[in-house]
Amino acid sequence: MVPFRWPSAWSEPALLRLFAGSPINCLLFESLSGAKAVVDAARAAGFTALEWSELGAGPLAQVKWDSPAPQTVITGLVWPRIKMSAHGLGDVDAGPTGAPWIDSNSWVARLAAVRAPHRPVWLGFELGNDHTIAGSASYIIAVADSAASGAQWMVTLDDNLREGLPAGNANALKTWHSILDALAFFEKHRQWAAWDRWGSIGILSSFAGKDEFMGQEMLNLAARRNLLYRVLDRSFPASCKLEGLPAVLYADSDPPSAELKAQLAAFARPGGLLIVPRALAALFQGEKTVPCSVAGYELRSFGRGSVAAATRDWDDPYFLAADVHNLVGRRNDPLTLFNAASLWRHYSVNPDSRAALLQLVAFASRPNESVSVAPARPFRSAAMYTIGRGAPVPLEPVKVEGRMELHLPAFSFYTALEVRS
Amino acid sequence: MRNIQTPGCGMTRRSLLANAGMAALGAGLLPRVGKAVEAPSTPVALARCRSYDAELLPTLTKMFDQMGGLGRLVKDKTVAAKVNLTGNPDSRLGFIPIGCTTWTHPAVIAATVHLLGRAGARRIRILESPWQSAEPVQEFMTAAGWNSGMFTSAAANVEFENTNFLGYGKRYIRFPVPHGGLLFPAFDLNHSYADCDVFVSIGKMKEHQTAGITLSMKNCFGITPCTIYGDGAPEDEPGLVPLGGRFPIHAGSRQPSKCSPPEIDLKSPRQGGYRVPRCVADLVAARPVHLAIIDGIESQTGGEGIGLDTRHVTPHVLVAGTNTVCVDAVGTAVMGFDPMADRGTAPFEFCDSTLRLAEELGVGTRDLKRIEVIGERIADVVFDYRKAGFPIQRTVPAHDWLATPPRKG
Repeated sequence: MVPFRWPSAWSEPALLRLFAGSPINCLLFESLSGAKAVVDAARAAGFTALEWSELGAGPLAQVKWDSPAPQTVITGLVWPRIKMSAHGLGDVDAGPTGAPWIDSNSWVARLAAVRAPHRPVWLGFELGNDHTIAGSASYIIAVADSAASGAQWMVTLDDNLREGLPAGNANALKTWHSILDALAFFEKHRQWAAWDRWGSIGILSSFAGKDEFMGQEMLNLAARRNLLYRVLDRSFPASCKLEGLPAVLYADSDPPSAELKAQLAAFARPGGLLIVPRALAALFQGEKTVPCSVAGYELRSFGRGSVAAATRDWDDPYFLAADVHNLVGRRNDPLTLFNAASLWRHYSVNPDSRAALLQLVAFASRPNESVSVAPARPFRSAAMYTIGRGAPVPLEPVKVEGRMELHLPAFSFYTALEVRS
Repeated sequence: MRNIQTPGCGMTRRSLLANAGMAALGAGLLPRVGKAVEAPSTPVALARCRSYDAELLPTLTKMFDQMGGLGRLVKDKTVAAKVNLTGNPDSRLGFIPIGCTTWTHPAVIAATVHLLGRAGARRIRILESPWQSAEPVQEFMTAAGWNSGMFTSAAANVEFENTNFLGYGKRYIRFPVPHGGLLFPAFDLNHSYADCDVFVSIGKMKEHQTAGITLSMKNCFGITPCTIYGDGAPEDEPGLVPLGGRFPIHAGSRQPSKCSPPEIDLKSPRQGGYRVPRCVADLVAARPVHLAIIDGIESQTGGEGIGLDTRHVTPHVLVAGTNTVCVDAVGTAVMGFDPMADRGTAPFEFCDSTLRLAEELGVGTRDLKRIEVIGERIADVVFDYRKAGFPIQRTVPAHDWLATPPRKG
């Protein structure tokens, strides 16, 4: 279902005309009885109408993962965007790397999908008062950030649209149609959501209690570094699939269960890299010390694999993410991107592994020009999808310094690259 | 901190005084500051090279032979080669690989490494201080699409080290600037700059917003560890990892961590155009360059980073020699500028000339009349960067306006 939060002030059933031909098919009301006329008309038109209080919506920490609800509904999230600086309009905040500071709900969606794997994930967020410009771009990015993460944004309008759409305001209608186009695009490619998320690192934590901050921020900041990861939740053993991962980070300070410890050892011995906090170094002692190029870690061989044990306590997830990225290395990355500093990448492979999908969410307002992608593995064909364009554009590989690259035409907000081998 | 020129501080390492026909590097033997006419001169090899393909290796081979061969410089020695990998590895000017615009091209690095190995170098360390990062240099290269294997397979015993922090060392090594220095009296650097017999600077032929040009000398600006000299360096001791760039050196907005010597004159101008050239001159005096190479085969105009004013260009030249000032003087002339120019004249419209300052420190001469150029004639290979670039209005770099007043005390 594609959900939409019906504004309380909209009492006219005639406003359902806005949804004609759109992918939105589920309307969320504060109160069904309070909007009876609209609800009746909506149901008659084939919409699903749900009352907000019945959704079990709440912040991530309050979600009941074992609930029988048909979907996981998480609220209190951030509006996806490049964070503007307090220094003034036009300035952009940068992280410690100088890369733009981006707010995204991607990690929340990924974690929720692991905790309740068979339920769709609905994300709730709306424009804050500090968001001065709420045009099409903001909404397309909001839709794309959720959809590329496999989730669904519960479309929530800002004041301008809430007032402008019933009045037939041209700008509001233009923005509205942009939202619908974006939703329609992702509905058309719904099969992508079922593709397997690929990662060069498994991030293993309970993501709760005393490990909530470090574990969750690690997910957030790994994405910010474009370090592709797989979520492994200790509290959900079924999620702890280590097969195919080059490395695993055990992010929690308390020891794993005997079963999980054995699983981690079995992962490292044949060639995996296990990264553990200082407190757990003794649990995975390894054999010989190996030179380690990353400050703050002791690297030891462990069978044919290795264990990197921190030599200091982790207190800053930003640096932990950087350390992990350096320990894992980029050699495992399935592709290299250029001119992609403000792009967030989502990489997945289809079940038969013959196709890979790179989704790029572009947070900058300007068009993304001269973005190039160098897949690590040979490929047979590549096609680029953009919102609003009907057919994908086939891309011809270009040989650059001995390897094949794909040079992407300029795009705004979002693109998907399907590469077939 | 060990002091590289102070006996009795655990310094049993090899002599820094060898090689390259450099003027004696001991402080007592250096010319006095201001005695530019006495600054040493060594021949500079200048070659045309149209691409990074097959012609590169024979061209470099010939250039090194013209200089008297690498063997006398590096045989049985540990060589440290500082390359120029400035900025973000995944940034490109359009679709052009970064080695063709802002970075030293990997083929130039690999060919140099190969020839150093062939000349008998015992160990070759490739050094860089990747921007705001403690990540391994190989990782940084991988992010640019490079395969670091092309360097490790080019010669035996090739290593990498990120010198933006302590790296593999146990402590920073102090390098005093002869005669006391222009901006800093001494620098604390990663051990790799001391644990070598021969120091090579492989720069890129570029203009620079703050220093006018960046060649083999300015390349050495990046040997300063940001754990001490960068934004976010702790007040007292070096940081574990770099948290920022070298804005404090540009702007004088703060002093290095207190464990390291502060700048000489806290009331000196807080302008990048004043400070960066002096810092660079101090660095090449404190950590002498034994072999300087400039990659000018392909490059960009308009500055060091990628921006609206940058344009990909193909000067098709290589410059090499054993005196970094002489090499940069020739490189400056190849770019269409007068190496004798100073503040107010291109390319130093808003800065002092690093060439002049290094010359006055006695590092080498910038006077082309005193430099023997071997191979091509400068006039035959001049590539005018200003004519080739976009017609841009040159103004004082923005960050100079942002510079904060000097600290008191």
